[in-house]
Amino acid sequence: MLILRTLAGGPLHGYAISRRIKQCSANVLDVEEGSLYPALNRMLLKGWLYAEWGVSDTNRKARFYRLTKDGEKQLAAEAEEFKKLITAIQLVMKTA
Amino acid sequence: MSFLPRRLKELWLRLHWLSGRSRFSAELSDEMDFHIESRSDELEQSGLPRAEAVRIARREFGPRLRTAEDTASAWQIQWLEDLFSDVRYAARAFRRNPAFAGAAIFCLALGIGANTTVFNITTSFLFSEPSCRDSASIVSISVGGNSNSPMADYKFVDEAHLLSGMAGANFEREVNWQDGDRNKRLYAGVVTGDFFTTLDIPLRLGRGIAQGEVDTAVLSERIWRSLFGADPAILGRKIILEGRVYTVAGVLPENHRSIFGFGISPEVYVPVTHDNEYVQFYGRLPKGMNIGVARERLRATLSQLDVIRPVENWKRTGNLIVTGVTGFDMLNQQMPGAVTAFFVMLLVVVGLVLLIACTNVASLLLARASSRSNELTIRLSLGASRQRIIRHLLAESLLLSVLGALAGIAINLACARLLKDLVLPVPVPIRLVILPDWRLMLYSLGMVLVSALLCGLLPALKAVRKDVNAGLKQEGRHTGRTWNLRSLLVAGQLAVSIVLLAAGFLFLHNLLRATAMDPGFNVRRTLWASMRLVPDRYSDPGQARQRALVNTAMERIRALPGVESASIAHHIPLNENCVDSIGVRTDLSAAPMRVRYQCNAVGPDFFRTLSIPVLRGREFSSVDRIGSQPVVIVNQAFAHQVFGGADPVGHAITLDYPGAKAQTIVGVVTDSKYVTLSENQLLAVYEPYFAKDEPVHLNFVVRTAASPGAYVKTVSDELSRLDSSAAVEVKPMSEALGLALLPSQAAAVMLGTMGALALILASIGLYGVLLYSVSRRTREIGLRMALGASQSDVLRIVLRHSLVLVGSGVAVGLILAFFAMQPLAFFLVPGVSASDSTAFLAVIAVLAGVALLATLAPALRALRVDPMVALRYE
Repeated sequence: MLILRTLAGGPLHGYAISRRIKQCSANVLDVEEGSLYPALNRMLLKGWLYAEWGVSDTNRKARFYRLTKDGEKQLAAEAEEFKKLITAIQLVMKTA
Repeated sequence: MSFLPRRLKELWLRLHWLSGRSRFSAELSDEMDFHIESRSDELEQSGLPRAEAVRIARREFGPRLRTAEDTASAWQIQWLEDLFSDVRYAARAFRRNPAFAGAAIFCLALGIGANTTVFNITTSFLFSEPSCRDSASIVSISVGGNSNSPMADYKFVDEAHLLSGMAGANFEREVNWQDGDRNKRLYAGVVTGDFFTTLDIPLRLGRGIAQGEVDTAVLSERIWRSLFGADPAILGRKIILEGRVYTVAGVLPENHRSIFGFGISPEVYVPVTHDNEYVQFYGRLPKGMNIGVARERLRATLSQLDVIRPVENWKRTGNLIVTGVTGFDMLNQQMPGAVTAFFVMLLVVVGLVLLIACTNVASLLLARASSRSNELTIRLSLGASRQRIIRHLLAESLLLSVLGALAGIAINLACARLLKDLVLPVPVPIRLVILPDWRLMLYSLGMVLVSALLCGLLPALKAVRKDVNAGLKQEGRHTGRTWNLRSLLVAGQLAVSIVLLAAGFLFLHNLLRATAMDPGFNVRRTLWASMRLVPDRYSDPGQARQRALVNTAMERIRALPGVESASIAHHIPLNENCVDSIGVRTDLSAAPMRVRYQCNAVGPDFFRTLSIPVLRGREFSSVDRIGSQPVVIVNQAFAHQVFGGADPVGHAITLDYPGAKAQTIVGVVTDSKYVTLSENQLLAVYEPYFAKDEPVHLNFVVRTAASPGAYVKTVSDELSRLDSSAAVEVKPMSEALGLALLPSQAAAVMLGTMGALALILASIGLYGVLLYSVSRRTREIGLRMALGASQSDVLRIVLRHSLVLVGSGVAVGLILAFFAMQPLAFFLVPGVSASDSTAFLAVIAVLAGVALLATLAPALRALRVDPMVALRYE
């Protein structure tokens, strides 16, 4: 979900994804590189992402990932699920 | 997006990945390089030296190989890769244990080989597709219920242009082919000029017979090869058929199947030359016309013909049959039930053999799985998933069945090659064209896959069901339960093979009995000399020329030294027959009695020549001829049925058709066999040969003083000298019995082979199971012997086990066989009964021998077991 959300802003390459997640979560969440690429590939396989080769701002060849229509749907669905879960947890925390 | 397309898309992406694996991994590597370099850049900017930055970036990233593997596993089709490794593993296991793999593959190969071959024969015989363009649009037309109709009718229908084309052919003709100073009788198809063009029959060389031609011929590939040495310059060559010159126009291909079907293949095709020829009608339907419409159109045209050229008491439209020429259409139309029944029986038999082969493999796999349960439990306890182990066992059976099926198909191809050159001893030109049939191969492959997977699944489930701890502990402590799945399989297999064996023995017995059977006439001292005349040469009115020839021939043959007597007949018993079924009146009773009898016309001395005793009255003599008082001779069975106890000689019979004259009975002869050796006694009526019209085929019978073989050449030379255009064939009568023996011979060979096959398979299974069960009980036997059991005690245990197994299999098998064989009585000669005890006794003897052999080896092995070794066995 985090990866999908990160890509919602536009195509990014793998390194940028891991940095963006780290930054946005104020260094709390650190996506391990070892699991980032397998995860990206699984999403490619599911058809949520689309990958193409491009040139990075540092002028190197890099692979950019972009959300597909399916990916957007998936993100929306997962975000919805997550919101429900959080609300539920908060409710429990408040009342119990 | 719904589930299924998404799954398909995923599969497509995975397969795509599989095809471009190396490119993907190179790209991934590039991507990881980029990641590490970007991180190093960042660290470098924060003030670290480049080398240090790269080192930290690498450490942060972690092991590249692991990432690469994890990423790749996201893409892999896991099961496919596992399957490959399982199959590789299975192949290694088989190499370690070649006896097991060999036995299993052998069983499957035999089962599949036999099965597919019989399927091939059956489909080729019953369902073969004729060699012509678009056979689905060809129909066979039978006018008024007759298979052949006059050319005049053919022309009338043809000129009505109802269909897009017509073809006429008569497949029951023969021609004499002149080869030097002798003539050879060839089976001919006499065809209309439009036959080859309408049916569009492919040729190997040259062209078909064209419209309007009267002197061209098309040869079959077999004749071209055997009689003309496969001469490549055959086209245009002159050959002499029926004393006339023909030019070879074409040669048919090797795998040609005639439009007639059922393997009937004329050796040469010649054009229709007479207007009095009879042909079978074929037609090609125009595009879009169905058979029903064609039938109505034909009916309309034929009813016109009924008006223009009426035939007395008969309407052409009365029984008009229009059918397709392929598959069931033809089968329903033209096949006698007995032949179909024979093939059905054959299919059932080979089905049983395949069943045996499969149960055999199943029990082998079961035995193997149990003996490996130790290995499997160890793998389970080391953390292999149950699913993985099942998959591995299934891969083994998959590999086995594929190898077995391939070997079976190889056997099938070899058999087809052998069968191609088989010539059946029947008076019709049957040649089976057996081509490898890919549908059949797919079918048998599929059947074996399913059966072997089932066979594999049982032991696999059994192997992993067990609790790991119990499995490790229990190994080797087999309790010796008699009835487990494997034993049931073996007993069942024995039962089925008993049915097959009993049937095989029964037919063998039948064959022996039939061969020794007295046909009711002398076959040891008689010759059959057949002489086929060219009809054109003897077409004078009154047939005076042929009468003269026959008389001269008889005189010359009788004058030969060593010839005791000679005669002539329309039909030679047990080879051709003529049946009449009609009401008969006698001069003693006015009411006609319907009888079915064998008819024949025989010359003077016929009964003396064949040693058929004349009980009352006399034989025919030369005074019995056209114009003299009509006389007949009947056999005992006829006399008994029509006259009861009275002596029929001197009485008259009148056949119940218009204009029939009373015929005086001048003699009664003993009964003999007429159609098959196994027939129940048939009635027979003989008429004088010279009181009837002369046939094209002359059948002389000659009684010789010594063994008839020595006279073949002299008689043949004598007859050939009389007419250089006649095809003469002389053979001892004993050789001519072939056709009468064919049904029981074919059945004996087929069922005998299948029975032997079943016996081999069942023996392998029995042997394997007994051997295995004893080896499983090594520990138990050792313990018993250590505790003081004698050798005979141990032997008794082992023998009892196999006795129970074999005994119950045999008992069930005998009961099954008893019921299964009752319908076979149809094929048996009198005196051999379907519940014949000798067949059963022989089968039990054979199986008991095999069982003893299969038990003795493991039993002796069990005796040699050293108690100490056995106890330390684990």
